[in-house]
Amino acid sequence: MTAKPKTIWDRLEDIPREILYGLLLVCIIVPMLFPIGFPVPISAEVKRWYDTIEALPAGSVVMVDFGYSGGGEPELAPFAVATYAQLFKKADIKVVTMSTASEGPLLWEKAMTELNIARFGKEYGKDYIHIGYIAGTETAMAAVGKSISATTTTDYKGTPLSKYSIMQGVDSAEDFALLIEYTTGGDQSEGWVRQWYTSYKTPYLCCVLAMMVPTMLPYQKAGQIVSVVSGAQAGQIELLVKAPGRGVKSADVITVTHLFCIALVVVGNIAYFGKKFSGGKS
Amino acid sequence: MKKSVPIALVFITAVIFLLEYFVLPIELKSTVTMLQNWGIILTAFTLGFGAVNMFVFHGKQVSRRAKGQWPYSLWLLIILVLFTLVGVIMGATSTQYSWLYNSSYFALSATVYSSLGFYMTSGIYRALRAKNAESALLLIVGVIVLARNAPALAAQFPILVNMDSWLSSVPTTSAQRGIMIGAALGAIALGLRTMIGRETGFLGQTTEGEKGG
Amino acid sequence: MELASVVQIWLAALFTIWIYSIAFRDNPFFKFAEHTFVGAAAGHSLVYGVDNIVRYGWAPLTAGNILYSIVFILGIIMYMRYHKTYFWVSRVPMALIVGIGIGLTLRSTVTSEFIAQIISTASMKVLGLDAWAAFSNLIFIIITLATVYFFIFTFPKAQGGRLSLISTIARYGMMAAFGYSFANTVLSRFNMIFGRIDYLMNTWLVLPYAMLALPVVLILVIYAMIPAEKRPWPKTKNNS
Repeated sequence: MTAKPKTIWDRLEDIPREILYGLLLVCIIVPMLFPIGFPVPISAEVKRWYDTIEALPAGSVVMVDFGYSGGGEPELAPFAVATYAQLFKKADIKVVTMSTASEGPLLWEKAMTELNIARFGKEYGKDYIHIGYIAGTETAMAAVGKSISATTTTDYKGTPLSKYSIMQGVDSAEDFALLIEYTTGGDQSEGWVRQWYTSYKTPYLCCVLAMMVPTMLPYQKAGQIVSVVSGAQAGQIELLVKAPGRGVKSADVITVTHLFCIALVVVGNIAYFGKKFSGGKS
Repeated sequence: MKKSVPIALVFITAVIFLLEYFVLPIELKSTVTMLQNWGIILTAFTLGFGAVNMFVFHGKQVSRRAKGQWPYSLWLLIILVLFTLVGVIMGATSTQYSWLYNSSYFALSATVYSSLGFYMTSGIYRALRAKNAESALLLIVGVIVLARNAPALAAQFPILVNMDSWLSSVPTTSAQRGIMIGAALGAIALGLRTMIGRETGFLGQTTEGEKGG
Repeated sequence: MELASVVQIWLAALFTIWIYSIAFRDNPFFKFAEHTFVGAAAGHSLVYGVDNIVRYGWAPLTAGNILYSIVFILGIIMYMRYHKTYFWVSRVPMALIVGIGIGLTLRSTVTSEFIAQIISTASMKVLGLDAWAAFSNLIFIIITLATVYFFIFTFPKAQGGRLSLISTIARYGMMAAFGYSFANTVLSRFNMIFGRIDYLMNTWLVLPYAMLALPVVLILVIYAMIPAEKRPWPKTKNNS
């Protein structure tokens, strides 16, 4: 029995994945080799993020949770670096960082290297500090919210916190003017709402992977989070802070790859409906 | 006793936390602080389970010389031991451990996460079809947001920004809120059932005497 | 650049290419990278577990807080779960973790994920606003209520007849939400791929000999994708 000849709709409906993946790689590499410089419009959520930090009064202490894993670094690190740049450009803002993810301390060091912290004239232990990875997610958040000194007595390298002036007068969630979170885990992003916002009403900025944003929107709508953004919006915060980096670089690639995806949706549906209306079965 | 003591412990611990939050914040503060610190340390102990399971499973693959698998299993165990030795002896934030992490685990983790993008491309092409009204709605919303997420398109067609804003703040947030409320009720019910011993999944394996029900 | 940094970049780049090769075909290079990943993940967890035990447990214990000896004993007996006969002993520390988790979650879930969400929905105005805002708020309230109904009242009587309209509204609302989530997931993953390709192009390929090595690496990976029985080398027991 001879096989039915493939129609144009069959061919359109069944493009080999190797070709699809190859085209995807072309859509990523070509804009990197030949940058176009597409504009990056600023969204309302990123503007709100930026304005919240700009409005911090001098002397404020900010808690940052570096709670993402290596998998989220390409997306979240550029946003984190730009935000640290904004915090460090402001006079007399102290930043206490902790990690609820085990890779957090190492990824924080990576981010600080990318930030090139020396250009801000900030001193570790006086203007910023990392108090280490604390296991337990919400247990850690609750413990630190109650009392940092009762939870840990050292920084992430094991040096006693008593040696650092930044921790003087800073012990519980009530001492912080703002909480910022970078995470790839829903447990962490939602946990801070439960353990810090609900108990202490600490203003909370949340930066997650783009795919996690929809699950965090109800908290933003209820006023529990000031602004929920995705790391993919890093280009926007980099432009606002005037510190262009990986985020701005990705704009061309994101535009071209998304256009490619829309084209795939169109082709797939043309093939589907073409086959359906010409009497074939999908 | 093998079942009732752990269940009682769950109940007592949870009640202490609830009492401290709602009724006796000052009287129970130090007890809760101590329990929270214990929780951190016990969670840290659980971080070793993965390594133990790896040794058990892959150790068997190596000892049995499982065809096509045992060299990879042996390599896995070598890497596990190498990471552990360097991390514990030199320090988890030492230059040496940082080098090991950045040259292997970080790159692998970032790449594994991102490789799903290839499968999504295939999924977009093969599965995103307007076969009925519901899938058509999913497709239309998906395409609008895809277009808005492309910075150049959003800059060129501001209407995409308005459409995306409405889609995110109305149907997405409302549906997610409904899911969240339902999930919260489920979590509360599960927590209460666990406290009273009706959910015993956390007990793990059952003894011979418990198997009868 | 220091030799250690150069070696680090080369290893990271090779692992990246080997992991991406699975998108095309399974091959020994991918398996090697995959097993490296799993071993490293388990090792990393163990390292930070030990680090936390030392910092938050051992340090207070050696500073004189004797009560911490109890938590060390509990932590160790947690590993009795691997014993054939005395596995039930590990239930005690697990019960403590579960109890703490339930206590912490229950006391704030009611406020943050239940009451706050209901207050926010109930306080949405539908009167006294412009038409579009009022319409949007009305749609919001309807979809929220329909979705809660859809998940709570799952028995057939509550979903049949005229009440099926509520499920239909909920499903359409969720389809819109899933379409939004899907598009955002695409954005997320493509951003991550960009990050890795950016690393390969701007950190690895700028190193000496990397441009020469790239085609060699790709050829080797493609060769490894050939099924073992069709490959001329290395010989397996089947094709020798």
